[in-house]
Amino acid sequence: SSLSTAAEPWPENAALYQQLKEEQILLSDNASSLAVQAFLQMCNLPIRVICRANAEYMSPSGKVPFIHVGNQVVSELGPIVQFVKAKGHSLSDGLDEVQKAEMKAYMELVNNMLLTAELYLQWCDDVTVEEITHPRYGSPYPWPLNRILSYQKQWEVRRKMKAIGWAGKTLEQVLEDVDQCCHALSQRLGTQPYFFNKQPTELDALVFGHLFTILTTQLITDELSEKVKNYSNLTAFCRRIEQQYFEGHEKDSSTIARSSKRSLLR
Amino acid sequence: MAAPMELTCWGGDWGLPSLHPESLIVMAYAKFSGAPLTVNTIKNSWRAPKGDLPVLVSEDVAISQPAKILNFLRKQKYNADYDLSAKQGADTLAYIALLEEKLLPALLHTFWIEAENYCSVTKPWFASKIAFPLSLYVPGKMSREALNRILLTKGGPPLYSLTEVEAQIYRDAKECLNLLSKRLGTSQFFFGDTPTTLDAFVFGFLAPIYKVCFPRVQLQEHLKQLPNLCRFCDDILTCYFRLTVSGHSPAGQDTADANLQKLTQLVNKESNLIEKMDDNLRKSPQHPPRKLTTLKLAAGGEESSPMSRLSP
Repeated sequence: SSLSTAAEPWPENAALYQQLKEEQILLSDNASSLAVQAFLQMCNLPIRVICRANAEYMSPSGKVPFIHVGNQVVSELGPIVQFVKAKGHSLSDGLDEVQKAEMKAYMELVNNMLLTAELYLQWCDDVTVEEITHPRYGSPYPWPLNRILSYQKQWEVRRKMKAIGWAGKTLEQVLEDVDQCCHALSQRLGTQPYFFNKQPTELDALVFGHLFTILTTQLITDELSEKVKNYSNLTAFCRRIEQQYFEGHEKDSSTIARSSKRSLLR
Repeated sequence: MAAPMELTCWGGDWGLPSLHPESLIVMAYAKFSGAPLTVNTIKNSWRAPKGDLPVLVSEDVAISQPAKILNFLRKQKYNADYDLSAKQGADTLAYIALLEEKLLPALLHTFWIEAENYCSVTKPWFASKIAFPLSLYVPGKMSREALNRILLTKGGPPLYSLTEVEAQIYRDAKECLNLLSKRLGTSQFFFGDTPTTLDAFVFGFLAPIYKVCFPRVQLQEHLKQLPNLCRFCDDILTCYFRLTVSGHSPAGQDTADANLQKLTQLVNKESNLIEKMDDNLRKSPQHPPRKLTTLKLAAGGEESSPMSRLSP
């Protein structure tokens, strides 16, 4: 069956599913979704973004986003990259073995620090949880389901934080970690246009997804986005990718300008 | 003069200074950066390991996770990363993240969850280091925490059973080992000729896999197929921990000194006996007893190596 997957060309009606953009989706899910969208744009594979309130439950792994291509459903960036590779499209073929190792390591860094920090902020910081997360997460559902789903998810995330040792961290420490991660990314990027110089790879898509979302999402305070803004090459990086891969798609629903509260370009 | 620093951690066996990856990371970093740590390994005492090990205590400050301990040591000017460029520092963070996400779950599984390994090796070893009745409780707790961590981070759908999760984490770990091997290539350490934080972390995770003799060893077998990683571990053990490859287990600096002390005492005893015999034979005051200089203990360092070769 994997042979047949490779044989079929990319269909016109490929779709990416995520939660509702305006009312429901949270910071971390928005970042993951944007990363996948950026990756597919970079591979020149057309995709429609469809917003559904129950996207999380439809997903085979319980995580968004997932793509529906032909009769296959694949979720999360890692498996999607593999899936796209099986169809003959890859951004990292030109890298040598050591560079591929580096790319994978940096992708883990983003998942380990940035994504975990986003999850911490939206589920473990009480103020954010009360004012943003709880209202947004369950918004498509009637009371009391909205509260129940929200508390259930919060309990799940807090368990995970405890298992990996993040439960004891304070918000300042988490922001420190974000700063450390951004510093590392900024150092690695340097003055190059992309992480592996001339061509973007899945690492660029992942970093873009997270940084752009952090820069353009309004939270209780601006502390998180300030950490990213400290590094001018990172903001320039985001602007460059936004311009190259997302401008000119204003008409269809895959625009990212509306999901963010404001575009980076002023 | 920096305040004296004491590290409490799990001890070692099978030729390793410690079996516990986090403890090993800190010990390796201390050796690389020249930090003078007194290492206390948990022995059979009532003082229970409170909270997470390793713990560094310096002037009433207790610091507990490896990353924080290393930060503290760096602030005290024991910095093994001094010569690294900014990009290499960034690479260090990235590779550490890779190790924690891809290799650590399989390492935890091999030690704490694989039933044969846990029952025949891990549990008895850890239980022997702490006093009863804690020895009944602590290993079980560590095992449960390991399982919890793996299931919560790796165990979501579409992996529905523990066997599927296990298959996935071992696949990830083998891929991670391959990546590390490619990155190391033929150099001695990850960033040239001097070891850095990244080398400490890689050593801390790899050495237990490499050296501990488990019944179920799929990860060890995979590691043995990557000779540059094995050479990396052996090099650090021989250069920084003064252990031979065959494993004078646990022939640390302390045991070499202890052996030396015993040898010295024996020789001194012998020379005292000879003196007495001399006196008895002569029984006359015109031959003052010859003063045999007692052997001085070697002051650690270089002299202990040739001496330790003498010990069996």
